[in-house]
Amino acid sequence: MRSTYRNLLLLILLTQFQFSFAQVKKTITGNVTDGKTGETLIGASVKITGGTTAVAMTNGYGFYAVGTTPGEHDISVSFIGYKTITQHLNLSKDTHLNFVLEPGNQLDEVVIAGAKSNDNINSPQMGPQRMSMNEIRSLPMLLGERDVMKALQLLPGIKLAGEGNSGFYVRGGATDQNLILLDEAPVYNASHLLGFFSTFNSDAIKDVTVYKEGMPAQYGGRLSSVIDIKMKEGNSKETTVEGGIGLISSRLKVEGPIVKDKGSYMISGRRTYLDAFFKLSPNKSISKNALYFYDLNAKANYKIDDKNTLFLSGYFGRDKLNLVNIFGFDWGNATVTMRWNHLYSPKLFSNTSLIYSHYSYVIDNLMEDANFEVNSFIRDFNLKQDFQYSISNKHQLKFGLNAIHHTIAPGKMTATSESSVNPITYENRKGLELAAYLTDEWSVSDKFKMVYGLRLSGFSVLGPGHFKTYDAEGNILKTNSYASSQSVKNYLNLEPRFSASYQLSGNSAIKAAYTRNTQNIHLMSNSTSTSPTDLYIMNSNNVRPEIADQFSTGYFRNFNDNQYEFSAEIYYKSMQHQIEYRNGADLREKDNVEADLLYGDGRAYGIELFFKKRFGKFNGWIGYTYSKTERQFDTLNDGRWFNAKQDRTHDVSLVGIYKASPRWTLSTVFVYNTGNAVTYPSGKYQVNGRTAFYYTDKNGYRTPAYHRLDVSATLDGKPGKKYQSSWTFGIYNLYNRQNAFAINFKDDPDNAAKTQVVRTTLFGIIPSVTWNFKF
Amino acid sequence: MMYSNRNRQFKSGAVFLTGILSLSLFSACEKAIDLNLDNVKPVIVIDGGVNDLNEVQVVRISTTYSFTEENKFNGLAGAKVVLTGSDGTTVNYTEKTTGIYNSPKFRGKPGTTYKLTVNAQGQTYTATSTMPKKVILNLLTFKELTVANKTRKYVAVIYDDPPGVENWYHSIVRFKGKVEFDAATDDRFNDGNKVNDVIFYDLSKDMVPGDTVAVEFQCVDKAVHRYFFSLGQNLSETQPVSPANPPSNFDNHALGVFSAYTTSSRKALFK
Repeated sequence: MRSTYRNLLLLILLTQFQFSFAQVKKTITGNVTDGKTGETLIGASVKITGGTTAVAMTNGYGFYAVGTTPGEHDISVSFIGYKTITQHLNLSKDTHLNFVLEPGNQLDEVVIAGAKSNDNINSPQMGPQRMSMNEIRSLPMLLGERDVMKALQLLPGIKLAGEGNSGFYVRGGATDQNLILLDEAPVYNASHLLGFFSTFNSDAIKDVTVYKEGMPAQYGGRLSSVIDIKMKEGNSKETTVEGGIGLISSRLKVEGPIVKDKGSYMISGRRTYLDAFFKLSPNKSISKNALYFYDLNAKANYKIDDKNTLFLSGYFGRDKLNLVNIFGFDWGNATVTMRWNHLYSPKLFSNTSLIYSHYSYVIDNLMEDANFEVNSFIRDFNLKQDFQYSISNKHQLKFGLNAIHHTIAPGKMTATSESSVNPITYENRKGLELAAYLTDEWSVSDKFKMVYGLRLSGFSVLGPGHFKTYDAEGNILKTNSYASSQSVKNYLNLEPRFSASYQLSGNSAIKAAYTRNTQNIHLMSNSTSTSPTDLYIMNSNNVRPEIADQFSTGYFRNFNDNQYEFSAEIYYKSMQHQIEYRNGADLREKDNVEADLLYGDGRAYGIELFFKKRFGKFNGWIGYTYSKTERQFDTLNDGRWFNAKQDRTHDVSLVGIYKASPRWTLSTVFVYNTGNAVTYPSGKYQVNGRTAFYYTDKNGYRTPAYHRLDVSATLDGKPGKKYQSSWTFGIYNLYNRQNAFAINFKDDPDNAAKTQVVRTTLFGIIPSVTWNFKF
Repeated sequence: MMYSNRNRQFKSGAVFLTGILSLSLFSACEKAIDLNLDNVKPVIVIDGGVNDLNEVQVVRISTTYSFTEENKFNGLAGAKVVLTGSDGTTVNYTEKTTGIYNSPKFRGKPGTTYKLTVNAQGQTYTATSTMPKKVILNLLTFKELTVANKTRKYVAVIYDDPPGVENWYHSIVRFKGKVEFDAATDDRFNDGNKVNDVIFYDLSKDMVPGDTVAVEFQCVDKAVHRYFFSLGQNLSETQPVSPANPPSNFDNHALGVFSAYTTSSRKALFK
């Protein structure tokens, strides 16, 4: 093994060596932007022809660098949905060249975002999947609320966690094993209204990229996936306003130049008004209740010169739930990202980010004799330094450092003096996460490409605090106390990342990837849907970093001039240090939660098939996943492997979008999946005069299969006008399938001698209508 | 305990939310359905207690049965039941009716650790439990909560929690002699206080004004509390995703619990 590494290293060194003797190349660098809005374009292709051919892709900031020999060249720049432009150039020195692409004809326009049309074949990276905002806009959605996270769940390997739930499972991972980044800031609880809506307002979003395998080494911290969401930068040409009015919420977005073509801003807000219905009630106990969420996305950027650009972006969102004189509850996220793009040389691009991320909730018990308030938060300070070094057209090096300081405040309870509750403050937990990475995208030949890299990830559990150790039953053995900033425990993990592709022909390729990911922050949840009060914990003297190793390989093929795309992938994932609650755990014991934790292993494997028609009047896709996800804990299920709750055998999604006329777009979504693995009783008995249920195998049963058909129709205004408006009509769950949100077992209220099984369905058939405008 | 109510209230918030949504837009609904549940080999269930009253102490031994059968006490005959105490007591139980084993009249003492040994069908099962110091139930009160136009009525237990020690309680609500609900609580958030603990069981479901509600208030040890807490979770409206048998203090894979507890009871007229 070691000699393989050495040979590889030698090979790399030799290839580098070779370059220095090759003819001195010149580098062309610049940005690619949208001609109408000035937004930078991510994943646009810049191709040099004449003499040698070289291709580069714009990065997450719309920047590209491509090298070639001096002399006469043609450069063509293309991006799906835009008109390709070609420019002639006589290259004699390093040159900075910006390109502006005009959007193409929207009609035959084809709504696949990202990349060149055969990038899925060309790229050595396995599995990144992108969704364009256009695509998301056309899909039918619950209550007409466009939702990026729910749209992603229509891709194979990404499964919805439950009805009306923004949480999702990627290839056997849990909902907390997805790294959700909004402008590089990790978002901790990405849902509104108890999970019915995601925190991401799609108006403000420019690009969504999902990695479920082969994550490049610059990403780390979660086991299963990376969801990289980038906010729009704002129109740098002119001020525009757009918005929408829906059944439960309204949205408004304003964007425009700060200084024309140099800087721009974007502010986008959303608020639900469900509680407006309460106000109509004559009953005071209803009309004074509150129930809403709002969120605000804001971003500004300023291009100081060709070498320096500054970005400032933020997200603020909060949910509020208030029952008069009983109970108040609000929770939300705030993130702020400051970035500086700097070009040290035509070959060396740098991005420095300072990120603040904060999630908190407050619970008020307003009952007079037990008045109290609970506060809890998780807060990150995050510094990232990323470099992109274009050694040559054969090697693109990325390397960088990341330091995150985490603080988790599990809860602070304050009470009035009349309250029968005592004030309590649980100890905060602090940790420092440090990472360094190096990755190289290497074009070995025209056909064979790879991305390989390493991420070194360290975690220090820091004092102050009292740290307990436990025996196998969860009894406290001893408590050690640590001073402020004293190191309690250190963990170090090396994460190899590898992804390679071999092109069989111009339109087909095989790819393979191996990835190790580790995770230092863990979400403890024991309920069906994600709850805002779910507890985050970090590594400690007891909790070790979770580790996942994933092997995957696949066949990718495009047909008919890239109009059709097909892929088949298989994966195997093995997971260590997975965490589960002990049977009968008391989740309130936040100062002693680790007493109730068990540690075990996981494994997941599956096949994913994907077939997509990418453009034309009719487009859409069909995705199918066959998979198995299991866990093994010594003290659960007698130590035998059992199905994880997210284990689902079959998962199908069908998406169709039909442009019926220049103004009408029709779309439909069908989903089917095998029910989740659950534990149901296999018998009953009596204890303390009540009926109790007897459980045997853990997760030995399945919920009934889930399926649903949604349709929607969008009527756009007459094209060509400055003022545009559109109507979207939708029907969720068209055939009124009664999907199980929960299944409960209890005594029959009408006949005490019987027990019954009760199914709760959340959403039957639901129509919706939304009006959108833009000027 | 109050703090634990937040989950319940949070849930009531969620129910309220979905309730409101369903009024205006949705069609959330509950329906009794048929599920195909396995028939498995029956296992033994031991439900026994020793309290601080001078009375016949009872151990109930039964086996599990199929979910679709009518509710019953599926008594197991022919077991040998012996109780020993750390104070030197030894008590032999006799089978009164099938599965019901009675002791002669005696009073358990706080501070004593009791061990129950059951021999049944060739197997031996043992459990131990320590009777805690007694805390008396002072008073019952009623509490009304109105959420979304629906008023629910609850009973609350009032007691003085002794300061400086951990206490675990188990409250049992009875109506017409039948157990309607039970709740396991502790003093983690109100140690040493005059406690007013609402038991979140809606009395108006079964009772009309003029009915009498009886509440038995038990002091139990930690393991017994955990058992009833876990059992309560399994029986609640928000059943856990993957429920498990509550952790029994019996060995040898028996279900059930053995509790040495103190008890005080009060009745109140439901208005």
